[in-house]
Amino acid sequence: MAASIIWYLREFFRPGWLKKFLFAKTAPLTTPPYFRDFPEPTGKPCQHALFCMMVCPAPGAIDVVMEEDGWRPRIHKGHCIRCGLCVEACPNGVLRSGRILETRKAEGTAFIVTFRISIDPDLCTGCGNCATSCPVNKQLDPQIGAGGHSSNDEVIMRVLDGDVHVLHEEKCTGCKTCEVSCPTRAIQIARILEGTQQPQKGGGQ
Amino acid sequence: MIIKDVVCPFCGCLCDDLDVEVEGQKVIKVQNGCALAEAKFTGSGRLPAPIRRTPTGWDDVSYDDAIRETAEILVAADRPLLYGWSSTHGDAQSMGVHIAELIGGVIDNTSTVCHGPSILAIQEVGHPGCTLGQVKNRADVIVYWGCNPTEAHPRHMSRYTTFATGFFVPEAQKDRTVIVVDTRRTESAEIADEFIRIERGGDYEVLSALRAIVRGKGNVVPKMVAGVSREQLFRVAEICKKAKFGAIFFGLGLTMSAGKYKNVRNAIELTDELNRHTKFTISPLRGHGNVYGSNEVFTWITGYPYAVDFSRGIAFYNPGETTAVDILRRGECDAALIVASDPGAHFPHAAAAHLAKIPTVLIDPHMTATTPLCRIQIPCTIAGIDAEGTAYRMDGVPIRYRKVITSSYPDDADILKKIHDRIREVQGS
Repeated sequence: MAASIIWYLREFFRPGWLKKFLFAKTAPLTTPPYFRDFPEPTGKPCQHALFCMMVCPAPGAIDVVMEEDGWRPRIHKGHCIRCGLCVEACPNGVLRSGRILETRKAEGTAFIVTFRISIDPDLCTGCGNCATSCPVNKQLDPQIGAGGHSSNDEVIMRVLDGDVHVLHEEKCTGCKTCEVSCPTRAIQIARILEGTQQPQKGGGQ
Repeated sequence: MIIKDVVCPFCGCLCDDLDVEVEGQKVIKVQNGCALAEAKFTGSGRLPAPIRRTPTGWDDVSYDDAIRETAEILVAADRPLLYGWSSTHGDAQSMGVHIAELIGGVIDNTSTVCHGPSILAIQEVGHPGCTLGQVKNRADVIVYWGCNPTEAHPRHMSRYTTFATGFFVPEAQKDRTVIVVDTRRTESAEIADEFIRIERGGDYEVLSALRAIVRGKGNVVPKMVAGVSREQLFRVAEICKKAKFGAIFFGLGLTMSAGKYKNVRNAIELTDELNRHTKFTISPLRGHGNVYGSNEVFTWITGYPYAVDFSRGIAFYNPGETTAVDILRRGECDAALIVASDPGAHFPHAAAAHLAKIPTVLIDPHMTATTPLCRIQIPCTIAGIDAEGTAYRMDGVPIRYRKVITSSYPDDADILKKIHDRIREVQGS
């Protein structure tokens, strides 16, 4: 027993080993440029496009809040998995992390978003609140804001046959004013996010 | 064929911006109208011809026979009741009053189970109201008290209040504050900025507390008033006082709950108090398309808006005594003519049961819940669809109904004129 303790002490307190352990000369630790840390603000103003929230795969990791100087994305570190998708999706370059922005520029990748408007005809009362309050509708047809009567078919939606009908889904900007104006929750806006890549110069994809 | 700027005859909003597509004698599409308008214009189930009850079922009868029999029933009655009138136009309503005068009957309209208490309150303290155009262009605070416009007047918010762009409220809902007061969280409450949930029957107390706060006597208000916290009452009173122009709309939650016309009186007096600080108006949300018109027509002919009794040879008005439900409930009515309304669906059971006991004649385009109670039903045109005429919007603005299709049915005013003439023949006058 005693022999074995001595053997261990000799083994672990060898001068050479102790010297290496205490006076090791290794290269200092540096963060490599490709390291993706938690997203940080770049200083560019947030336009409240909410692409970050749409693309984020981690529940509760990011939200966009109104602060004194405007909208601002807020990262919740306990939830964020540092995937960097929010950085890549933001059309206004509000966030940065690692080399994501540079890579995105070099490779010409982007996320595009479209909006799908779904209406539940069983819940819709045809009140026209959504069509009247929609800011895009108001631009396309000044009459619709003044009482829900649309004079043209260029608007995103209008009331036909007692229910609201979508005519031009592609014009929707996803502001969701219609959703909050609907008393019966009959209208819902779904955001559809799609990754794209611009053709490279020289014909390559 | 598309007919533009058609007036919807369903509710008191009388939206006059519908585009109706007609094919032959049928409405096939309704644009800009709500679900209620669409159902009104494209609905089916019209009675094809007059019917008379037999011991085992119904027989078809001719219009002439039905009219003759109706006149005989009315002439033979000691205490006839002429009820309804709110879904037809002014000409038919006017003819109804003349028949009532001729037979010494009681004529009442649907206000009696609706905004009758509002009229009593207005007769006591006046009506600080305005047109819906003023509300749309000026109001930055909208209060819906005891009403649910989402279900009963679906386009009220998009045409006249919350979501409509007004001259002085260009940003519509962003410039307006919407307050909903109700005993339950209705759909309208979902889009309100402030929802006040009160206990059932607590309207009078809450209105009194708000009056006290607006008057500067808020120290007398207890911590809770009919389920509403003192803090919320102060907050709401402040919103109202700071408004540039406020508009209160109220419904049957106020007129038909405990307190009835006293609730409405209190609400009008709250409006009065608020006018010491800013501009505030109050208006009832009227239900039937032309219920306001029936009040107007009755008033300009008899001097009274509803519940008019001609049994003394002169117009006599005493709601509670000469109102349709009370006459039926007491069992004193011995014949009834129902026009353009559905008491079978709306009256208390005792009143509806009495209608089934006495000879009741119904003039209505559709088979309704009143059909099983009546002895004769005479189908007619629908005012605003296959008949034109004048109606009054909920704010008292007269609007001309348009005729969008031609049908083989006679106008109810013509049927009533024939009944009137036949009564005169029978009476020998």
